[in-house]
Amino acid sequence: MKEVEIHFTLNGKEYNLTVPANLTLLQIIRARIGLTGTKRGCGKGECGACTVIFNGRSVSSCLVLAPKVDGSEVLTVEGIGTFDHPHPIQEAFVEEGAVQCGFCTPGFVVSSYYLLSKNPHPSEEEIREGLSGNLCRCTGYIKIINAVKKASEKLNG
Amino acid sequence: MKEIDYFFPKTLEEALQILNENKGSMRVIAGGTDLVVRLKQGQVKEDRLLDISRIDALKGIEDRGEKIYIGATTTHTEILEHPLIKTSVPILHDAIKSIASLQIRNIATIGGNVANASPAGDSIPALFVLNGFVFTKSIEEERKIPIEEFFLGPSKTSLKENEILVGIEITKMQDDEVGFFRKVGQRKGTAISVVNGAVRLKKDSKPNRFSKAFVSLGAVAPTVVRAKIVENALESEEIDSLDKIMYISGLVFREVSPISDVRGSLEYRRDVSINIIYEGLADLFLNGFRRS
Repeated sequence: MKEVEIHFTLNGKEYNLTVPANLTLLQIIRARIGLTGTKRGCGKGECGACTVIFNGRSVSSCLVLAPKVDGSEVLTVEGIGTFDHPHPIQEAFVEEGAVQCGFCTPGFVVSSYYLLSKNPHPSEEEIREGLSGNLCRCTGYIKIINAVKKASEKLNG
Repeated sequence: MKEIDYFFPKTLEEALQILNENKGSMRVIAGGTDLVVRLKQGQVKEDRLLDISRIDALKGIEDRGEKIYIGATTTHTEILEHPLIKTSVPILHDAIKSIASLQIRNIATIGGNVANASPAGDSIPALFVLNGFVFTKSIEEERKIPIEEFFLGPSKTSLKENEILVGIEITKMQDDEVGFFRKVGQRKGTAISVVNGAVRLKKDSKPNRFSKAFVSLGAVAPTVVRAKIVENALESEEIDSLDKIMYISGLVFREVSPISDVRGSLEYRRDVSINIIYEGLADLFLNGFRRS
């Protein structure tokens, strides 16, 4: 089938779409659903800007073809927190100044969310490892790492 | 990206049937982290994809006594999280941990890493030194192929057009065996290896002596290679000093035929392939050849 029907849950909401099989999850999220928090960086799975949680695992959404989305559960940065109700990770990024141009930030927030869900008290080395699939070309990584440490403290009292 | 016909079989039998009917115009996809990039770059001639990632029979890790069987579509993350892997085949654990990024390892599969047949594929040197076998199936036959015979060249394997790679078998390391996997890339995350390598040594009853040595190097030849001259030296010499280790590692020079490309020059690759073997052996030596 050159077109596929896909039924999936995104940020807790159910969707039924008919899409070309060669569309990526990233294109579905941005162009079909209209959530533009998830960014397209390299398109090759090297930069991490398009990171989402897919069936409980962080993945590069630019490499997931539409048929794989059928039956899946997806969480994007918009499902983690909103402008009015930011997630403690997002608060920590703001407080620590871990955002410069902001393009990589959604990917970093999703990777941090995944890391802290698997490991609530990561060491600095574990934070560096957990974020090593995400690239930032502005700030360097110190402030981002500090933000994740702070978020870990916020989440665990 | 060009239009594609996508097939999502639920059973292996169905998959083999579909692949046989479409042989020549169909590619197998599992995690897709490599294939989707190549599709985007217009490098895939086939326009039909057979997704094998939802076939239960191809998933999971089985303890088979002295061996471990890993289903082809088991993801790298699932392999890393399995307790048997870290304790019984730490060389494979370290190799897989070095692959790409977390976001890739979470969906990419070991079958994909092998079937892609990249000379720089990071799981492959580990599978070479762990006595790896590749299991394949078609509607006609099942095959069990020694991993060293599976690769014919860059991106070329002995898989036939109607065959699916269904699993990998490796031999567990015994208590008297030590080894390592090492990789040099341009950075730590998401880097394709400039050189990678794996070593497994079986200890002799005499200290610093080894009855069996397996040495494998990647990204230094059209396929991953065994370094037999180095293996012979490790089996015949007493490994009792860093000088001796440097001498033996230097023999790597005679085993590799790297190319120059965007990631490194021929000379750099040759020197680094010597150095990773030296550093790995030196670490083992300085640790008294104990399993850490």
